[in-house]
Amino acid sequence: MSAEDVATSGGGHRPTEGDGRNVDPRVGILEGEAADQTAPARRSEAEGAAPFEVWRMVPSGDGDRRTDPTYYDRPAIKEPVWIWSVPAYFYVGGAAGAANVLGAVAQLVDREGMDGLVRRCRWIGAVGGGLGTAFLVIDLGRPERFLNMLRVFRPTSPLSLGSWVLAAATPAASGAAALSGAGGALRALADAAGLGAGLVGLPLSGYTAVLLSSTAVPIWQETRRTLPMLFVASAMSSAASLLELTGLNRREEEVVHRFGLAGKIAGMAAMVAVEKEASRVDRVGRPLREGVSGALWRSAKVLAGASLGLSLWPGRSRARTVARAVLGTAGAIAVRFAVMRAGKASAQDPRATFHMQRAGRGGREVTGRPATAGPPGSA
Amino acid sequence: MTATGATSATHEVFGGQSGGGAPRPKGGAPRPKGFFTDTTVCIGCKACEVACKEWNQLPDDGFSFTGMSYDNTVDLGASTWRHVSFIERPVPLSGQVAGQGSFSWLLMSDVCKHCQRAGCLENCPTGAIVRTEFDSVYVQPDVCNGCGYCIVGCPFGVIDRREEDGRAWKCTLCYDRLKDDMEPACAKACPTDSIQFGDLDELKVLAGGRLQTLRERGVSEAYLYGVDEASQPGTEGLNAFFLLVDRPEVYNLPPDPVAPAKRNGSGWASMAAAVVAMAAAAIGAVVAGRNGSR
Repeated sequence: MSAEDVATSGGGHRPTEGDGRNVDPRVGILEGEAADQTAPARRSEAEGAAPFEVWRMVPSGDGDRRTDPTYYDRPAIKEPVWIWSVPAYFYVGGAAGAANVLGAVAQLVDREGMDGLVRRCRWIGAVGGGLGTAFLVIDLGRPERFLNMLRVFRPTSPLSLGSWVLAAATPAASGAAALSGAGGALRALADAAGLGAGLVGLPLSGYTAVLLSSTAVPIWQETRRTLPMLFVASAMSSAASLLELTGLNRREEEVVHRFGLAGKIAGMAAMVAVEKEASRVDRVGRPLREGVSGALWRSAKVLAGASLGLSLWPGRSRARTVARAVLGTAGAIAVRFAVMRAGKASAQDPRATFHMQRAGRGGREVTGRPATAGPPGSA
Repeated sequence: MTATGATSATHEVFGGQSGGGAPRPKGGAPRPKGFFTDTTVCIGCKACEVACKEWNQLPDDGFSFTGMSYDNTVDLGASTWRHVSFIERPVPLSGQVAGQGSFSWLLMSDVCKHCQRAGCLENCPTGAIVRTEFDSVYVQPDVCNGCGYCIVGCPFGVIDRREEDGRAWKCTLCYDRLKDDMEPACAKACPTDSIQFGDLDELKVLAGGRLQTLRERGVSEAYLYGVDEASQPGTEGLNAFFLLVDRPEVYNLPPDPVAPAKRNGSGWASMAAAVVAMAAAAIGAVVAGRNGSR
């Protein structure tokens, strides 16, 4: 029996030269648990050098390491693998959710008088949901399997719940938007879809914050009470800013202005609250003060603050409306990217994890019981 | 083990009935299985790493020098399901006579913990991660779509996505071997029985006995990490638990890990309050706009 026959009869497949397994293709086949794992295409890039700075100290020579130890300062948890499209989704998804909610409320309260606002909200919900779905799909390691997201319903996973929410909100908003101009039964259908979109728009505008806090990343985990408030407030100002860039009539503009103002004030308060909650353990809050994430966080504050200032400025001017909408949009995008970068920095810092758990903010905070975390008498 | 004929060779080396241990019950549901890793007898030979790579046919991770003692593996990952940590300590171990100066080695073979409350499993939105009949946590490669949410869900930094592959991978507790009534390759290859595989309840008894023996011999630092719910309430216990002699941080283990889903209730509550406020703001804004127009 040749190697080819063996490979086909056993359900395995032939190894390729240089796949890092060192299995001779003439005599061996791949049928192990990881036989299917794709090996690096360009092996030369993985050779020779560690992908991080080589440790230069003699570990035992550093006395300080006894009081605040780490394992060669290597991260204790894995860094999130998410790319730019995930915080971009947080922004468009949030804007879509808040727009769905505002649109549904406007439809319920004053369907005739605010027809333009209702339609625009539905379109933001539809485009935001569609674009957001595309952003999520391109982040997947296996994008062609994106429908597996709807394979199960798992209440413990905010990502699972969020997938269902997004899968409900986007078609509802799209249907409502497409049928906005219709009459009769179709109009009733559009209004029903608009209400449905508004209902699922509620979780859509904020679940992504719960998604982040349901992780082992210290700064996300620690801000689980304030981050949802920040994300919902940011979603409000995102939606209002986008609406302000469209040609609303005077009454609609007033409505959007009030909605956005509430979001901007809540957003500024939530940013302060997030900082405070994150910094209860000094090391955990560090990414909001330092590095790229700190710079993004500060720019988000400045942009959101400037947008809020222009919103509070008395009198009306189209130029000012556009300016505050642009600033509000930029601030909302910056805050999502700041939170993502802060999470990556937090995951890279083993002391953030260790200090937080030593401060009683690990399992003990939930269960009320401490873990065995050291030799007898040490912890 | 040579590169030539690796598959057939590994099946011969690790195959067949595993020696030692209690006879396995035939028929009926299998009992929960796990690892007890006794770090005090680990000699840092990395046979477990090699056996794991060979059996599971995992690609290598490149060959690089880290300067971290004898550890050039660095950490667990998508293609590294066993990892031996090398810790050089400037203090001796109790009851140990140091040959030269004040020094001791700590060596530990790390692995997926197969937690009772598994962060990866609870975060997985596709159902790719399941709990098997052996009570282990298993990623189905044909279902995983590489969303990456398990990676941030793991409080131990075990599971990871391989860039070229796009899916999440981790230790399977040698699911294929367990189905054939064989112990995992790492435990089979361990020359000092630092890695012990078996029924979880038996391993716990074994570990308790070993702990007592060590303490009687004067190794007063010894303790069990994650052996049950009482010792690690955040994960409700680990199916792969450890005997350690220094604080968990020294081994790059979290001191008090928690399954993220255990605490996301307050996040949902906070979000619910925020969206109710948003709905109220929307109603207020629209109603004020309607009234103002009249």
